[in-house]
Amino acid sequence: MGRMSEFRNKLRYLSRRERFDAEMEEEMHLHMEERAEELMVEGVDRKEAVMRARREFGSTARIQEDARVMWHFRWQEDLLSDLRYAARAMGKSPGFALAGILSLALGTGANTTAFSLMMEFLFSEPSVERPGSLVTMRVGGASHALMEDYRLIRDSNPFDGVAGMREEGEANWRWGDESKRLHVMRVTDNFFEVTGTPLMLGRGMAAGERNTVVVNHAFWKTQLGGNPDIVGRTLVLDGQPYIVAGVLPEHHRTIFGFGFAPELYMPVVSESERVKLVVRLPEGMTKGMALAAIKAAAASLDEIHPPKDGNLRTRDVEVSSVTGVDRVKGKSPIIAFFGMLMIVVGLVLLVACMNVASLHLARAASRRHELAVRRALGAGRWRVARQLLTESLLLAALGTLCGLALNVALTGIINRVPLPLPVPIRLAIAPDWRLVTYAALVALGCAAIAGVMPALAASRAGVQAGMKSEERSVGGSRWSLRSFVVAGQLAVTVLLLTTGLLFLRNLSRATNMHPGFDAETTTWATLRLVPERYSRDEQIQTALDQALDRLRSVPGVESAAVARVVPLNDSIVRSTTMKPDTGGEVGRVRAQLNWTGPDYFRTMDIALVARRDFTPADRTGAEDSVIINETLARLLFGAISPVGHTFSWGTERNEQTFRVVGVAKDSKYFTLGEENAAAVYHPFAQQGSPGTTLHLLVRSSRDPVQLGRELRSALAGVDSSAAIEVRPMKSALGLAFLPSRVGAALLGSMGALGLLLAAVGLHGVLSYAVSRRMREIGLRMALGASPEAVLRMVLRQSLALVVSGIAVGLLIAVFATQPLAMFLVPDVRPSDPITYLAVCGLLLFVAIAATAGPATRALRVDPTVALRYE
Amino acid sequence: MGKREPITSEFLPGTLGMLILRALARGPLHGYAIAKRVKEASEDALAIEEGSLYPALNRLLVKGWVTAEWGISENNRKARFYQLTPEGRKQMEVEAVEFERLVNAIRLVLKTV
Repeated sequence: MGRMSEFRNKLRYLSRRERFDAEMEEEMHLHMEERAEELMVEGVDRKEAVMRARREFGSTARIQEDARVMWHFRWQEDLLSDLRYAARAMGKSPGFALAGILSLALGTGANTTAFSLMMEFLFSEPSVERPGSLVTMRVGGASHALMEDYRLIRDSNPFDGVAGMREEGEANWRWGDESKRLHVMRVTDNFFEVTGTPLMLGRGMAAGERNTVVVNHAFWKTQLGGNPDIVGRTLVLDGQPYIVAGVLPEHHRTIFGFGFAPELYMPVVSESERVKLVVRLPEGMTKGMALAAIKAAAASLDEIHPPKDGNLRTRDVEVSSVTGVDRVKGKSPIIAFFGMLMIVVGLVLLVACMNVASLHLARAASRRHELAVRRALGAGRWRVARQLLTESLLLAALGTLCGLALNVALTGIINRVPLPLPVPIRLAIAPDWRLVTYAALVALGCAAIAGVMPALAASRAGVQAGMKSEERSVGGSRWSLRSFVVAGQLAVTVLLLTTGLLFLRNLSRATNMHPGFDAETTTWATLRLVPERYSRDEQIQTALDQALDRLRSVPGVESAAVARVVPLNDSIVRSTTMKPDTGGEVGRVRAQLNWTGPDYFRTMDIALVARRDFTPADRTGAEDSVIINETLARLLFGAISPVGHTFSWGTERNEQTFRVVGVAKDSKYFTLGEENAAAVYHPFAQQGSPGTTLHLLVRSSRDPVQLGRELRSALAGVDSSAAIEVRPMKSALGLAFLPSRVGAALLGSMGALGLLLAAVGLHGVLSYAVSRRMREIGLRMALGASPEAVLRMVLRQSLALVVSGIAVGLLIAVFATQPLAMFLVPDVRPSDPITYLAVCGLLLFVAIAATAGPATRALRVDPTVALRYE
Repeated sequence: MGKREPITSEFLPGTLGMLILRALARGPLHGYAIAKRVKEASEDALAIEEGSLYPALNRLLVKGWVTAEWGISENNRKARFYQLTPEGRKQMEVEAVEFERLVNAIRLVLKTV
């Protein structure tokens, strides 16, 4: 209590230092006046009285200074002198300082970069005005509202503005003779006004405009040549002319988040489009109040305009912020991934800190004399410990600064390198106050972990013992504090290496894993037709037939087929009850769905184990026939051959019966890691509407890369306004490999970094330990010990250290890596002994290499020299 | 009483604060008046030097035992008046008791040895 109020008083002084001096002056002046008055009463004349009063008072400047000191924080000045001393000490042993700073720079660089990535991916603020008062809303349980509902809510609500956006749009951009498929954010005409999105050139869309677009910076730069006069020019999109109204700034972040960066913002033109509601809340309205308001609005709308499909708008109403925790709700795999990443980089930093701690300990040993002198001259134990702590704080601060420089360099690379994803992702990581705060905390943590123990140990040393020259113990306690630090460091390294190696093995396994279909000789072509020109399904069907015919006529093409879902790139899942006609109920089955045309199985080289493929006869109106995979066949019909049997599928209200016409071999559908997934293939012609984006798969004996150009020109003949993309199936599988690649790259490099740091630490400690025993070794050899015996002794000591560290690490790793199974393909199990054996071998090798150098050096030493050593 | 040199506050370190607090016990005073009151109360035996009075007053301000406010002195001058806080009063009593014990102890030693 007393301390606190004293602290507060001192703080208050800081803000009125100027006034303090003036007041003090006035006060002292009064004092002299009063004294002079008194003297004048005693009979002294005025001039003499004033002079005597001044003389008696003495130096006002000194009194003022003495008074001022009372208000100072003593530690401020102590800290300054500690820092000066620390800098001097560091300058005296630059090798130590460099090793420490480098270790910490690597550790904090990795750590803060992971932090920056996480903040950018999960918690970055969208580029809008006052993001705090912008929310998204869902009504009627749908993430996107009908255009009609959007308009009703916009016109009847108590908010400051309601806009709509649809984030998954596409458009064909006609450029010369080519059509390119672009990713588009469809927005309502008031979107830019409601959100206050800043622009680099031009303006946003204005109310009532249906033919203007806003392009993003990357598209403007790379596709439009960075033309500064682009505003007002025309782009042909989906066969229609659109005027460029504006260009977004380079670091534009969409409301959707996660780095999603569509090339265009286009107006919503179709009435059948659904949009996410983006709402600007009035000043002072909280999310809770907004929820009540939208609920009331939905209720009155339900009454006035009863929904046609009976789906009440009042059902499942939700209000979510566009920033912070709200946006990552329900994205647990991403959060888990970043959680794991943060733990791993935390461990790397821990290893780096332990390096610095053992460096501190080593130096403290050689500084015993100096510290003892300071103690003898009257420095308290706490004072000495504080001096050492200041040194580690300075080291940590310098290391973290270098780490931050590393962070800026790394995030710059990450911002520039495009990710191999089917949607454009652009990150705009920039250092901000969150990073600085985090880095400051990291630096403090490093200083504490690396500095506290050594400082306490060093200050404990007695004055008497320290004043004597170097300690000359023979043998002595083998398990010094440093040994414990190194053993702990090894334990953490085992954990790091285990995770790194697991992910590396995962990558090699995933890359070599057979997806169950042929990805080597197939090609994937996407034909996106302009929706406005293909309003009837028959038109699409005609175009599709024509496209397949043209593909099949390209020389070397063996077969071509259409599919709604390209495996490992997309997935449609249905999960309801299945009832086979053989009796019994299987219950809820989660099945991967696809709609495929004739020849799909031949094209993909998926064997049909029973009966037939789909034929052109499987079209609308014909019996609902399906092909199921082996897993589902086993599940539904057991040992009976399912061909010819039927099963019903769906809920009570909406049940459909399907006849099984074939059974296909199991393959991978959405992830390489999935196991025993059930799958149902429907005839392509029996889906409601095929949509205007057609995925065509081509099997050919020719090299897919060469073939690509010919396939493209074959498809271009179907419709010149259609956008065409052709890529080998192998490269299209990039998405499936992405998690294992990213995991392997990140965790593998962290493991390597941990190993490097631990190797440096290990080498330092072991060679230091040997050099401390130089005298002993010389003595032993002088007394006739054989070189082998000495070598054995040295090795035994360091191996004891290494083995105990590894043992502890293994014990932790076995348990700590269990949750990683969710990121790995089924063949790679965290508990696999191969990984642990490899890790142990690697560390033992490093340990022996670290000991061998100093040990052989010890053997070469002349006993007479060794005895005089020090 | 002969004209003897007054004892300056340096003679017993730590007692200056107590003396100032004591002087303020009967009401707020400005710096000069504090020195005068101590001098009068000790029948001119104790003189607080200006060089230690003001730093000491600032120390008491930092501790929160006194507060300062500008007012008008009896000679109609603008002066800074110091006033005891409740904590200051408590502190004064604590120090007085401690001092009493010390003096008694010293007196005992002087008597017996």
